[in-house]
Amino acid sequence: MRPYSLTRRLVITVLLVELGCAVLILAGTVIYERHTHFRSFDVMLRGRADSLLGAVQDAEDPGDSVMLDGTEVNLPREDIYEVRDATNKILGRSRNWPGPTDAQLVLNDGGFFRLHIQGRHYRALKTGGVRVVDPGDKGGGTRRNVTIFYGAPTDSVWTEVWNAVEFYAVTSVILLALSGVVIFWLLNRGLAPLRELAAEAEGISVKSWNFAPSEDVRRTKELAPLAVALETALGGLERSFVQQRQFVSDAAHELKTAVAVVKSSLQLLIMRQRTVPEYEAGLERCESDCERMEEIVGRMLMLATVESGEADSGAASFTTDLAICVRRAAEELATMARVKQVHVALTGEEAVMVNVEPGQLQLVCSNLILNALQHSAAGGEVKAIVLREGGAAELRIGDCGNGIEPEALPRVFDRFYRSDASRSRNTGGSGLGLAICKAIVTKFRGDIRIDSTPGEGTSVIVRLPMEPPGEHL
Amino acid sequence: MRVLLVEDEVRLAQNISSALRDGPGFAVDHAEDGESGLNLSGNLYYDLMILDLMLPKLDGLSLVKKIRGRGDRTAVLILTARSEHSSIVELLNAGADDYLCKPFDLGELIARAKALIRRGKGVADPTLRLGDLEVNSLEQTVHRSRRLVELSPTEYRILEYLMHRPRVIVSKRELLEHLYDYNWEHHSNVIEAHVSNLRKKLDAATGEPSIETLRGRGYRILVSGQENR
Repeated sequence: MRPYSLTRRLVITVLLVELGCAVLILAGTVIYERHTHFRSFDVMLRGRADSLLGAVQDAEDPGDSVMLDGTEVNLPREDIYEVRDATNKILGRSRNWPGPTDAQLVLNDGGFFRLHIQGRHYRALKTGGVRVVDPGDKGGGTRRNVTIFYGAPTDSVWTEVWNAVEFYAVTSVILLALSGVVIFWLLNRGLAPLRELAAEAEGISVKSWNFAPSEDVRRTKELAPLAVALETALGGLERSFVQQRQFVSDAAHELKTAVAVVKSSLQLLIMRQRTVPEYEAGLERCESDCERMEEIVGRMLMLATVESGEADSGAASFTTDLAICVRRAAEELATMARVKQVHVALTGEEAVMVNVEPGQLQLVCSNLILNALQHSAAGGEVKAIVLREGGAAELRIGDCGNGIEPEALPRVFDRFYRSDASRSRNTGGSGLGLAICKAIVTKFRGDIRIDSTPGEGTSVIVRLPMEPPGEHL
Repeated sequence: MRVLLVEDEVRLAQNISSALRDGPGFAVDHAEDGESGLNLSGNLYYDLMILDLMLPKLDGLSLVKKIRGRGDRTAVLILTARSEHSSIVELLNAGADDYLCKPFDLGELIARAKALIRRGKGVADPTLRLGDLEVNSLEQTVHRSRRLVELSPTEYRILEYLMHRPRVIVSKRELLEHLYDYNWEHHSNVIEAHVSNLRKKLDAATGEPSIETLRGRGYRILVSGQENR
């Protein structure tokens, strides 16, 4: 695609509009100039016709006739004229009078008419006058009517009109060129914030999320929404990118450590000659190390699956019994509870339906009870309570373990976070259990929080939306 | 040699400890978090510290800074799962002497540990020589006047430690601390027997006395003849 410049487009648009205006002004000029010039031309024509009449008056009159010989009046040579009396007798005419036929002398414009003589355009006037013969006689002399035809060529008028138009045209072109340059410069200045924003945006990369539009950009009404939107989007992206990178880094650390365990176990085994029972014990350890690695990988994948699930899954409709899920989870973990000598107490309401996918709800219950078991000492008790409260279902799972230090509490839902690393590792924790629970609960628009008193115990409280009452029979 | 291992992954720590005890015969103390590692390193004298980078309570980098901050010159080897250059540069600049990326080779870990201990004692050559006595720390063999001397692992470790500190009186307690793990006190009765056996085997080759016993003070390696180092 060919790139096009916004500046150039705007300049061209403005210049085209200006050009249109100039053409309209020029057309108006032609009409106006023609009108005024022809008015003064007509006045001049009438003046000359009057002076011709004066000459007719003054002409000597031997035998009641006037003969104009062209010397009595001082008129331009190219002008044409003819004077007739009432009997249509020609009293005098200019030498270049072509003698138009009467048909040609038909009036068309308030006493004016046009003529075309020898390739030149003429405008002519027909006017009447009274000639007084022998004004000295008694009674004021004889009055005779005369008709005067007077014409003059119009080329000079048109030349003047065109001169005026030419002046305006040249001025317009110069103004167009000047305004083009000025607009270009102004636009360049005016669009500076836009360029600045583009340059700022260009600086953004995976390594540098720094996006700080200048005050100019923020003040620009058209750009402010874009700058704000970019800033918001980048902030969100950066957070999730950093989070993702942290996850990848943590995951790599966990996996590398798990691989290091397996590798060192094997190398230790082959470091020197060993007895068969030693080999057997070593291989068993290797196998359990591999199982740990398998578990970590499985949980990572589980977390990835839960998080990548459709965002609108909250809109889907499930009817899962929270109480049954809790009971099933407790049954699954009964063996472990017996081994650890921990009693699991289930109380609360029955048939509490929540809008959560059954498999994932089961996972949440198992993870939470497992966590509670792991943090309980022998002879302790794990309490699981299911309640309906304020239109939501609530699950509380509490243990009587050592509790969590207050400074560690905000981080317990972080991936790979272990409040007490060595113990969790010993019990096989991956640091992902609570992170998975939080991901699932959040996905189904629930809420999970943890309360802990060091030395007394920890309880996890999960609130889940009840399935819509209308759909329940 | 006594090594402090600070590693929160219990299984990995078990494997490393076994390898260091089995191979070069080091005494290994294990701490599971940074704080207890810091306490141990302050209470006892170590020839080498092996630290994991990601530790609960106090991470490896801060631990190195604290150890160096109080003037401890013990060699430090860092185990890290991160291989980014920036973090490695930061580690070495903070005072760590070497690093190994997980998953590492146990053989390499042992070799690096030995090299660091050697360097820490101002020795570059893996073969220690004193007079007509020659100790090859790689093969763990001992020659006196070019004749091979067969030693038990404990005897070898006693000799190696004494060779690292020539002409210095090494107390029985110091020797015990560097040969055994936490419960070194249980071995205090047998150390005299081990030293006595070692002396007998070494002296059998030439008849010259090799280890001097200073009653109530300790032992000193004392080998006559031309000294090469």
